[in-house]
Parts: sequence; structure tokens; C-alpha cells
Amino acid sequence: MSEITDSNFEKASVRDTAFRVRMRRFFGVLQRLTSNPTTVVGLVLIALMLAMAIFAPWITEANTPDAYQMPRDWGAVRKPPGTPGHWLGTTNEGGDVFYGVIWGSRTSLQLSLYVVGSTMVIGTIIGSVAGLVGGWVDEVLMRIVDVFLSIPELIFALAIAAVLGPSFTNIIIALAMVIWVKYARIMRAQVIQIKQNDYVDAARVIGDSKLNIYLKDILPNAVTPVTVQATLDMGNVVLIGATLSFIGLSEAGIAEWGVLVSEGQAGIASGRWWASTFPGLMIFLWALAFNLVGDGLRDALDPRTEGR
Amino acid sequence: MNSAPKPESATSEVLLSISDVQKYYPIREGALQRVAGHVRAVDGVSFDIRRGETVGLVGESGCGKTTLGRVVSGLTDATGGAVHYNLDGTLSQIDHLQDLQARQFRRNCQMVFQDSFASLNPRHLVLDIVGRPLRVYNEASSGDLVERVVELLEQVGLGRQHLYRYPHQFSGGQRQRISIARALALNPEIIVLDEPTSALDVSVQAQILNLLNDLQAERNLAYLFVTHDLSVVRHMADRLVVMYLGKVCEAGETQSIFAAPHHPYTRALMAAKPDLDDDRAGENVKGLDGIVPDPARPPQGCRFHTRCEMATPVCGWEVDDVVRWLEDEPGMFEHLSGVERQSEFNAELAFDSEEAAAKLSMAIRSESVPAAMKSALKRLKLDGHKVDIEFEAVDEVQLTARDGGRLASCVLDPDEVAAKSQ
Amino acid sequence: MLDATQASENVASVRDLKVHFQSKRGVVHAVDGVSFDIQDGETLGLVGETGCGKSVTGRSFLRLLPVPPGILAGGAVSFRPHGPCTACEGAGCEACAKTGRRASGDQPVDLLSISLQDMRRIRGDRIAMIFQDPGKALNPTLTIGAQMSEVFLQHRTAELLDRAGLPPDTAGAVRRFAAQEPRFGDGLILKFPPKRGQRAKLQVALNQMVTEALAETQVPNPAKLMDRFPHELSGGMRQRVMIAQALACNPDLLIADEPTTALDVTVEARILELIRALQQRRKTSVLYISHDLSLVRRICDRVAVMYAGRIVEIGTTEDVFANPRHPYTRGLMAAVPTAGTARGKLAAIRGTVPELVDPPLECRFAGRCPYETATCRQNDPSLQPVSGGHSVACFIDHPTGSQDAPSFDRVTE
Repeated sequence: MSEITDSNFEKASVRDTAFRVRMRRFFGVLQRLTSNPTTVVGLVLIALMLAMAIFAPWITEANTPDAYQMPRDWGAVRKPPGTPGHWLGTTNEGGDVFYGVIWGSRTSLQLSLYVVGSTMVIGTIIGSVAGLVGGWVDEVLMRIVDVFLSIPELIFALAIAAVLGPSFTNIIIALAMVIWVKYARIMRAQVIQIKQNDYVDAARVIGDSKLNIYLKDILPNAVTPVTVQATLDMGNVVLIGATLSFIGLSEAGIAEWGVLVSEGQAGIASGRWWASTFPGLMIFLWALAFNLVGDGLRDALDPRTEGR
Repeated sequence: MNSAPKPESATSEVLLSISDVQKYYPIREGALQRVAGHVRAVDGVSFDIRRGETVGLVGESGCGKTTLGRVVSGLTDATGGAVHYNLDGTLSQIDHLQDLQARQFRRNCQMVFQDSFASLNPRHLVLDIVGRPLRVYNEASSGDLVERVVELLEQVGLGRQHLYRYPHQFSGGQRQRISIARALALNPEIIVLDEPTSALDVSVQAQILNLLNDLQAERNLAYLFVTHDLSVVRHMADRLVVMYLGKVCEAGETQSIFAAPHHPYTRALMAAKPDLDDDRAGENVKGLDGIVPDPARPPQGCRFHTRCEMATPVCGWEVDDVVRWLEDEPGMFEHLSGVERQSEFNAELAFDSEEAAAKLSMAIRSESVPAAMKSALKRLKLDGHKVDIEFEAVDEVQLTARDGGRLASCVLDPDEVAAKSQ
Repeated sequence: MLDATQASENVASVRDLKVHFQSKRGVVHAVDGVSFDIQDGETLGLVGETGCGKSVTGRSFLRLLPVPPGILAGGAVSFRPHGPCTACEGAGCEACAKTGRRASGDQPVDLLSISLQDMRRIRGDRIAMIFQDPGKALNPTLTIGAQMSEVFLQHRTAELLDRAGLPPDTAGAVRRFAAQEPRFGDGLILKFPPKRGQRAKLQVALNQMVTEALAETQVPNPAKLMDRFPHELSGGMRQRVMIAQALACNPDLLIADEPTTALDVTVEARILELIRALQQRRKTSVLYISHDLSLVRRICDRVAVMYAGRIVEIGTTEDVFANPRHPYTRGLMAAVPTAGTARGKLAAIRGTVPELVDPPLECRFAGRCPYETATCRQNDPSLQPVSGGHSVACFIDHPTGSQDAPSFDRVTE
């Protein structure tokens, strides 16, 4: 029943332009995305947390000289939530939990953007090369990928971070080294599948250049699963990063949720639950939000639901 | 491979010439991916396409027709042989062309694919798809482009209102029109049509075939029409090339082949699908037994002899035929323990018991074996649990020239073929 | 081609069948008021183009439609299963083609309203179906023998016990095995004597029945074929297995949904020959669904032409092909290239199939029909007889009385 006649295009008119049609398609995806309630919940959460990160200096005054260092109020240690000036309480070392929660969102955003951004580019390039060139190049690249994939993510990242020494930058490097293989894998599979399509052959028959065929035919059709994976990883990266920080592979005293949980855990046994709970909750919400949106995106971009 | 004769044609008007083209795909085995053999998808095919004519390339699945179409359009490189293209009066080999000439060939040889959905990029608008060849060759400035595309769309029966739509918004027939418009954009001299209508309904197929004919008349296009559908090819093609298992088994003028097929395979193809207005439909329909043999080990002699109902003793009977026959015989193949070949025609079949070996040597003389195979048998010696079999060695059956510019590769002459099929 | 005595009996009749599909754009009337009979022992061809509803009609016999999005919007498919032959009481005689069964006065059942349990009993036993793609219809993880056995285990328990030399009232684990209703622990019981011997006997009988069924479709060496997996077979061979499986239980009705479309023509011819021979020998009725006119002409006794969810013409093959009365049937036949057609002069039907979302009250073919007049846009033609057994839904043969009724003489183009 896929027969389409002109009657379906009452909305479309002769005055259409390519731009308008493409915008319509984009809004179609957006509409499908927002028609799913759980995705909307995820989007709202992400928007709130992004706002938190962006407006951090206006919400709480930045610490000097380094805003990413927790301010220490040695006069008010182990204060419970509700204490004036420390709405979410303080840690054993007088760190303000509220400050940590707000500025921690900035740290997390940086972490996930750096890691996901760099790995997506590296993975896409390597995966494309493997898929396009094939032969022994493919073989060598994929064996390397297999080696990386054979070690559990967290343990591998932990080992790298441990070798590099405790610092936030090293966590970013460690995570990037672990995660790029996923994108390489996905991209290679996509490229191999798409380059067999007749429309790629059709472009070759026209005589278009290889670069053009890659950029126009292969890449745009291959990026959907990469985009979905990237969204999911925006959340997962923060989760793993926090784990590494918790173990102590990050610099002590920075405003980072994992570090804060670690700082507060000593007090949990004595009933001082707040120092670990609030940053822990933020990690949970961050990961949840991106996973919800990632799943929604997967459905919205599914070609089987698109356009029909 | 001695070069096979070609259908006669005056060189002056030859547009594209295929000579002894082979395309082998390696079969790799084991951990080291050693090449264990080759699938001979196309195995020495020669014919010419003249300016403005339609050559039909017919055969069933796996005969190599699609592969050959891809070789002609330059999508796949041939393993052996060559495709020559007429560039400004001289025939040049297409995989040796340099810059400007390569571009010239590329522009002049276009292709339309079977699956109209897969051959259009789902993320591109019709404007992008049809306009793309023009952009690649800087044929049209951006302002000019829309008008040029509309012109092309109108030639294939679409219009301006279709410019800004995606492929999935069209029906199968309309999508095939878009493919045709794209192929026409560079004003080519030849279009390879790979089963352009097999996915369409008959009423839509009729529209597309009419369109292709109109365009050919207008632009003096040459078509290489690849299809499995004889009724379509009879309607469309001036000349016909029938392929079976990588080789041409018959070629010539379409009308003359349909009037009197010289090869039993061509005859079988025609008999399998009678015309809609054929009054004898219903009674005279015949099919073929067995399956198409493995193209990695094509049969000796005539490749069709394993399924041919008029096979003779000189058609190339070989050891494989005995093994194939054994497979279909209840309670025999299980006892076969080994085949020791001296050649394709001579081997020792070892069985796990003397009883089974004796049973084979009895059975092979019985009625259940084709008479031609029995006559071709030179030696059959029972030796304990082994059977030594030797057939008359036969060369590959070549295409030979027949009357009226026809070619066929059959040991029988046309009258015999006609007589045997009664 | 039919015996006059049998022609009167219908094995199935479809009345005003309506199948709709819910889609984003609205309700698609995929099948919209289809009525026809399948006479006992005949082959009825159902032809039409993509999306005309022919497959949906065929599938609704066995309720093999996805619901939702499918909606059975109305109508009935009544099926009259064969009863024991009255002449020989099941022993097998000439009148019942040695099957021991023939069309009888049994009360017909409505396939659309019976319980799912009753439906299962009919599926594969009384009504069998073969599909276009035998590769998809066969289970890739089971050997041919194993999947063929299932049919017998499911529907032929009594015969199986009889063949194995076991009393028909065998109970317990062996019976449950034979009826394919295993219970926890049965596997263990069947592994040890005394049940073990009985099980072995059953297996021998089962293999025998499978071999016989396969041999009937002329596959070479059926015993060997039983150990093969579907992917090891060629398309033609798979379709033979499908046919063997479908005909294993002597169904009263076989629904063939484009069974040869995926095959090469030379193989197709053999499969058709086989279906035809088996059908004539067993007097099974066949509903043959296809888009291929020349094929339908070759093997069918009667033909129904479908267009846009309706039957537009139905009659004997000779009548329909020699004297097509509906412009669509004519158009379809003219669109097939034949020896006489001049190059580039194929009579294509203009336009495309209409949307079936809430179709307006007019002839569905209006807009594509060369004989169309205003009448066709105002009224919806129904299927009316033009001569004995030949009916057509067109105003050319059934004018409404208004002045501008269409006619074949008056071409508007």
C-alpha cells in the first residue's frame, strides 16, 4: 500500500525549495523524537543540567583562583543540608556540596564532550578507512580493534589512567583510548553495508569522484547509528569517569561528582549521607537522561519509521 | 582460450565491442585465505553493440548476465579479455583510457539498475539525484540546473512538481523513471539496462518499455538489455545473446532466433514460458530437470549437457556426471568413499563394499542412466570395491557460425534440434 | 476440465470479505468486499498487480494476517471440509480419487469466526498454503525430514500409530510423542524399554511417511534429502519440499501464493507441472495467487481478476482470456508483450493504482480507464453476471440507464 499519488502532496507545492523540504524532514524527526514521553523526560533533564553547567558562575560564585577546585570552609565542616550558606551541607573537609554539584556539571560536560567528540571523529575515520579500503588494511585495523574490545572497558581505562598518573586530563585520555573502538566498529559495518547499495554504483557510473561518493552517499547514510551511540556515550562516559575519580585517579579536591562521592563516603557510616548522595544522584540523572534520549533517537531515526 | 567468433557487424557502426571477456571470482579457503578455485561468472564472451540498436542479454539466474553488464558499464574490471568503446571512430579499450577519454567513456555509457529503490540515495531529493551528473561534469550552473532537471524529468513523463521529493515518495515505476532521467542527463550513447522492469507490474512495465523505446528513437541510443524475461527481450531487442553458465550458447537476430532456436537451451527457455496469446498454452510447457551446475567446476564439452534432453554421446560426459547421478540414486552415494581422478573423463570410484561397487557397475548399464551417457562410456571396469570409469575425452563445444549471421554452440545442427524437440 | 457432478459443490466461498489496515494516513481498504467461490477440485486463479489485495485475500483463509494493523472488517469465508466418502466409507474408491474423502454435506465453518484451536486443526491439515519464498517458509535450523515429520505428528497421529503396528488406543508417553505434545520427563521414558522399542517403531513409520510424501513431488533420492538443511537445497528443490509438506495431509484446499515467482522459468515450468499433476490426482482444490497472466491461463480452470481490493472480473479461463469484459482485464492483457506487438506500442495502462485510504464511491478503475464516462465517477459498479459463470463489475455490461454509459465502441482518447 505504498503507492503514492499526487493527492498526498497537497501540503507540498510547486513553490517548494530544497531547503524547505529538508527542514520538513528535520522537523519530522524532531516530532517523532518528542512524541515519545520518556524521551521528553530525558530532553528536559539534559536541558536543566546544561543550563546548570552554563550558568554555574551565576548560581554560585566561582572559587578563586581555580573555579574547578572545591572551596574549603574549614569553619563549617560536616554541616547537614539546610545550613545557611551551605544548602546541601558540607563534607568532612568543609567542601560545599552545592558548589560541587553545580560546578561538577561543568566538569562532566567537559569530560563527555572531549571524550565523545574526539572518539567519534577518530572512530569514524578509522572505521571508514577499514570499510572503504578493505583487504589487509581492514584486517590489521580490525585486529587492533579486537584487542581493545577484548579487555573490559572500565578495567582498561583504569589501567591506562593508573599508568598516566592521577589527573582529570588523564581520565579524558584514558576514556578516549578505550571508547574509539566502538565507533570504528559501527562505522566499518555501516560503510561495508552501504557501499554495496546500487546508489553507490549509480554514482560511480556517473563518474563522480571517490571522495564525493563517500561524502554524499556513504557518510550521510552511515552516521545514524554513530549518532545514537554518541548520545548514549555522553551519559556512559560520565559514569565511568566518575568511577575512576572515585577510586582516586583524578586530582583530589576538584569539583567533580565522582571525587565528591569519594570524599563523602567516609561519613556515610556515621549518618552523614548528604555529601555522597547529591553528587551520586547527579551522576545517575546525567546517565539516565542521555540514555533515554539515545533510545528515543534510535527509534526516531529508524528508516523503517521514517517517511512512510 | 581461443577467441570465439563474433556476430558479424560492420566495424564502422560498432559502438561497443566485447571480446572474450572473462570474470573470475576467487574462492578462498582456510585460515590463510588461499585461493582454492575460481567461480567463472563470465567465461569468454564476445559480441558487439552497434550504434542505436538494442542487444538483449538473456539467461537464468547465475548465468553471468548481470556480471557482464557490470563489466560493460565499467563497474567491474574483467579478469580477462577486453571491452572496446568507439571514441571518435577508434575502438579503445575501456580500462586503458586516460583522463579525458575516460571521462568521455564515462559520460557515454550509463546504467539503469533493477532495484529502483536501492539505486536512488534515500537522503537525496530528485533534484539532487537527476542533477548530480550535471554537477559532476559542470554542465549546468546552479541557476540553470533546475531548468535542466525539469527538462529531463519531462522527457521521462515526470514534472516540475516532483523536483523536491524523496525517492520513497514515489511508486516503483516512477522511481525507475527517475533512474532513467539520471542516466539520460549526460546525453549518453549507450545505456546498460539491468533488468529494469523485473520488479514492476506488467502495466507499469509496459509504460517503461514504451518510454525506453521512445527515447531510443529520439536520441539514437544503444541499449544492452539484461533480462531473464524472453517476452520482454523479444519486444525490445534487435539482436539477442543467450547465456548459460558464463558462456554464450546462442546469438543472432532476435526474430530469427525466436523463429528457430538452434540451441536446446534457448528452446527450453522459450518452451517454459508460452505467450499469453499462444493457443497451445497449457499443453506444450516443458521445464528443465536438475539444477545449474557449480560455475566453479563447469561441465566439460557443452555446459548444458547435464540438463539437456537431446544430449548426445559427444556432448562431454564426464566423471562428475556419474557422481551427480549417484547423489540422486537411493542407497548408493552413502557407500561412495572416494573418487580418484586421472582426468575429468577418467577416474576410479572407490566404494566401502564390493557389493556397492558391483551394484554401480550394474546400475550404470541399466535404463535409469541417460542413453547418451552410456554410449559415451569408453571403459567400465569392476575391480573389487573399486570401479574404473573412463569416458571419451571431448573438447569444449565452441560457438559456430550458422546461416543468417547466427551463432550457436551445439553439436547438433538446427534441423536435428528441431526434429528432436517434436 | 471439471466433472459436471462435482462442479456444483463449493469447497469454500468467500462472501463480502473486507480486510482493512490501520495506517498513519488512515484506514487502508486493502480488500474491500470480495466474494467468490472455490468449486470442489478446481484451480481458481487470483490475478492482479502489486497491492491489489490478492495475497491478503489468500492469507485470510488461514487467518495469517497481522492483527493489528490488519482489521477483519467484515464478511465471511465459509469452508466445507471433506467428509468420509459416502460410496466407500473411507476405504478409497474411484469417486473420491482413492483418498477416502469427498465433498459432503458437512456443515461449512466460517474460517473468520472459529476458535484459534479449531483454526490450528484446519491449518496444514484441511487447508495448506505454499508461499513465494520457500527459503523463508522453511525453518533453517531443522532438517527437511524433521520439518516434514511435524506435519504428520501434528495431524496424522492415528495413521502413524497404525503404521507403527501399535494399537490405536496407545496412551501415555508414546501417544504424546506421536501427537507432538511432549510432557516433562517423556524424553527419559522414551529412552528406556519397553517404550523405547515403540518409539523406534514410530520413527520408522514416520520416516516412511515422509519419504513417500517427498517421493510424490519427484525429488530424487528422498531418503537422502531428509537429512539435508533447507539452505543446502536449490530454490526449485525447496519449493518441492514445501509442496510435499503442504500436500502431506491430503488437504481439501491448497492456497498457493506466487509459489514460482522467485524461480527461473525452466524450473517454474516443472513446479507448475507438478502442482497440476498432484492436484488432478488428488482432486484438491487450489487457489492460485499470481501476477502472471500467462501462467494463470496455463494452469487454472477459472480466473478472478482483482484490482484495488475488488474482484473486477471472474469466469472460466477460456471466457476471461478469450472475451475479457472489464477494461482493466483488457488493459492488463494488452500490456504483456507478445510476438505480434509492435516495438514501443505496448498498451500501457495510464496512471497508477489509486490510494485505498477511504476510497470514494466510484469505480476504482475510473481515472485510468479509457472508456470512462461521468457514470463511472458517480456509481460504484458491483460484480454482475454477463453470461453463465462469467461476471464483471463494469457499466459497459451493466448500464445504469443513464445516457452516458460507457461502451467499448466509444473510446474517449
